[in-house]
Amino acid sequence: MLALENIIKKYTIGPTELTALKGISLEIKEGELVSVIGPSGCGKSTLMNILGLLDQPTSGTYRISGRQVGYGDDRVLSTLRNQQIGFIFQMYYLLPRLNAIENVTLPLIYRKAGRPAARQQALEYLKKVDMESRAYHRPDELSGGQQQRVSIARALVGRPAILLADEPTGALDTRTGQEIMNLFKLLNEQEGITIVIITHDPKIAAQCQRSIQLLDGQIYE
Amino acid sequence: MIISTNLREATRSLMTSKQRTLLALIGIVIGIGSVIGMVSIGSIVQHQALKQFKEMGIDIISIRKETAPGDLEGLPLDHILNLKSVPIIREVAPYLLSSTTLQQGKSQTVMSMMGVTGAFFDINKLYIKEGRAISGMDNNRYFCVIGADIGALLRNSGVDPVLGSSLTLGSRNYMIVGVLERVSEGSGIRPYGINKGVIVPLSTARRNFDRPDIDTLLARVREGTPPAVIKQTVRTYFMSTMPGTHITVQTAEEIIATMQSQMRLFTLLLGAIGSISLIVGGIGVMNVMLISVAERRKEIGIRRALGALQSDIQSQFIIESVSLCSIGGIIGIILGVFVSYVFSRANHWDFQVSAVSIILGLAVAFAVGVFFGFYPARSAAKLDPITALRS
Repeated sequence: MLALENIIKKYTIGPTELTALKGISLEIKEGELVSVIGPSGCGKSTLMNILGLLDQPTSGTYRISGRQVGYGDDRVLSTLRNQQIGFIFQMYYLLPRLNAIENVTLPLIYRKAGRPAARQQALEYLKKVDMESRAYHRPDELSGGQQQRVSIARALVGRPAILLADEPTGALDTRTGQEIMNLFKLLNEQEGITIVIITHDPKIAAQCQRSIQLLDGQIYE
Repeated sequence: MIISTNLREATRSLMTSKQRTLLALIGIVIGIGSVIGMVSIGSIVQHQALKQFKEMGIDIISIRKETAPGDLEGLPLDHILNLKSVPIIREVAPYLLSSTTLQQGKSQTVMSMMGVTGAFFDINKLYIKEGRAISGMDNNRYFCVIGADIGALLRNSGVDPVLGSSLTLGSRNYMIVGVLERVSEGSGIRPYGINKGVIVPLSTARRNFDRPDIDTLLARVREGTPPAVIKQTVRTYFMSTMPGTHITVQTAEEIIATMQSQMRLFTLLLGAIGSISLIVGGIGVMNVMLISVAERRKEIGIRRALGALQSDIQSQFIIESVSLCSIGGIIGIILGVFVSYVFSRANHWDFQVSAVSIILGLAVAFAVGVFFGFYPARSAAKLDPITALRS
């Protein structure tokens, strides 16, 4: 489904050049629940940004469903992000002025979907994450765990090829974090959704089928 | 779909920062308000002047002898009256214009005083509300016809009936024989000051005015005579007996043309002033939009991560700036129309709202929104998704 081949990412900060990813090759198959684990500064976020098409590697190739990603056209990249990737962030990143259902509708709106259909679908996914009753609440009226559930619904609503979760439990207490993990596992088992979780928490990583160890920009599997 | 969503979000975003929105609006409101106010006052003034021509007809000309140093003598009255014998001239109305003081007990009011013949009423389309006009029978009599405003003034000070009572103008007493209907006044051919003045027989005026010489007259010409022919004929007539005199002839058509070109200049000038305030207002809008973009970098990043195209982000911010300007535009239009209403009320002019000015106002507001929203929206769209997301 996703295949990285010899991905190198270099940053230039002033006169110094920093290599964040030193030749990463990895493959994520359809239906997998994978974790990427490593200490801070190991290149996890950079990897996530490249997988999520938010960033462009210095060299190497990236294939999604067998097709190589071209970085030239912003329109193509935006469309790929919209259709293939569902993002879940540590701080949820819901838009504060929109209520839950409006937040969930966003990916569909950028797909130019009709409003009634989009709302219908958003409600369906809110039901899936058990947040149906809070559909018309704004983020500041929801707890952290509830916000993360809404953000999972938002990531799922466009039926992407893969969910990318960046420290999804990082801002939550252990119990709520575990509830979110259970939700991921459920979605993976029952719906066959491919999920990549980026974390620094070995307990989270241990619950995934596969764990990719990242250290200093390289993989130790 | 995306437009209606953007519109809703724009309103919400503008509502969240009310104070800032309000401040940005002021510039636009003043800009659009002044453009609309100026355009509609301009059209009211023009309408008013043209109305006068509609009342009087465009077959009226004004003839004036230009006085030069050492040549202060007016035109001889019999010669003026004889102009009527020229085939293209149908009526002649010489007049004298001066000012006088109305004595009412201890109070004094300065007003204009005109010495006229009976033809003056006809040519100027002055209608009598009460009593009668000045006629040829009134030669050297101390009779007067008063303007509508003077009639009202007298009535308010308790003079009743107005007709037949006497007025002390300067050092003489005049008997009021008529009261005029209100006439429209402005930059037309009709002498200014009729509503707020008194009209006396020409012969009486010549005896009492400091300078009895007649320099100006109005005449009615045969309809359809070309202006060039009129001018030539009138000049030849006066030059034949008074060689060396400089005669200016103005036809109604010419006055309308001059007036229209003056109006155009006036509108252009005021339009330029309005445009400057719009530019200033637009810069205010741009500033607010730039702040809004800077504050919402994270939001932009999130939207981009969810698949928003650069054009989606751009249109979101342009719609926000257009909404801002449109609200300002609507308030500005209301303000401008209100100002022109007050203005025309104060001048006793017919008030009218021109649809053109409203459409113009909305179009300008829209254009300002697009123009000054473009740069902030473009910079929002061009933000790097990661940088935006991390901010």
